[in-house]
Amino acid sequence: MKAENVNPFIESVADVFTNMLDSTVETGTPVIDADETGTPDIIGVIGLSGTAQGIVALRLPVKTALTMVGRMVGAEFRTVDSSIIDGVGELVNIIAGSAKAKFTGQNLSLSLPSVVRGSIYKLSNLGNTLWLTVPFKSPLGEFSLSVCLKPVAATEKEAAHAGIGSR
Amino acid sequence: MQVLVVDDSQIMRKIIMGALTKLGVNDIVEASNGQEAADLLAKANGIGLVLMDWNMPVMTGIDAVRKIRGGGIKTPVVMVTTEAEKEKVVEAIKAGANDYLVKPFNHKDIQGKLEKFLQPA
Repeated sequence: MKAENVNPFIESVADVFTNMLDSTVETGTPVIDADETGTPDIIGVIGLSGTAQGIVALRLPVKTALTMVGRMVGAEFRTVDSSIIDGVGELVNIIAGSAKAKFTGQNLSLSLPSVVRGSIYKLSNLGNTLWLTVPFKSPLGEFSLSVCLKPVAATEKEAAHAGIGSR
Repeated sequence: MQVLVVDDSQIMRKIIMGALTKLGVNDIVEASNGQEAADLLAKANGIGLVLMDWNMPVMTGIDAVRKIRGGGIKTPVVMVTTEAEKEKVVEAIKAGANDYLVKPFNHKDIQGKLEKFLQPA
């Protein structure tokens, strides 16, 4: 995955914080990894297809998820319920949707988002494409966004094998 | 005047309804997909504005707009969606949508659409 392909996603995260969360966000240094494993507790996942194929994963500690979704709806959440799951799915949907519109000359479609809970997981990559993970800090908590994206010509066969698996 | 909020995400409906309430709109109905929205619009004639998501299960927002317009219903529809590409906007307008609001949005964006389409009581 080209490093510059992550920029539209970083811009979209900033847009979400400005427009829907009324807060600020600080972008950390992106990290490259072949397979993403980690400790966050709630992961919003959405697929991209079309002229490029990929996966976007919004990885949130529980505390950050409760705070961010609470800020979105103007409510306080203390436990993870259906609203939090729904909210994390909507957040990754908005971030990925807003980012895909910034890729000029590409024809991309979004899948419906999925939300995964738990800390024992593995996000498999698309063929030999690497994940690019961007850490963020904000007054609402820390979180990260992982993106795996490559042109469709190189992934037609490999993409079928990508996905999330337990380990 | 009544506003119909259509989105498969319960949390997004809450966000939009919260924004509407803060802007003084208290008569709000909701639907979780395009089919529900089309059914509501076919029965109720008090709805003055529809805020419609695009990507939803059962029936998408764009298919709902086509069904609504095919049934002769002229209620203004604003697409509220992450589908921000120009081609999508054109497709929505051709299908019969009146306006477009791209997520992420803020309260001022919602207010702008209300002022454009809702007539004072």
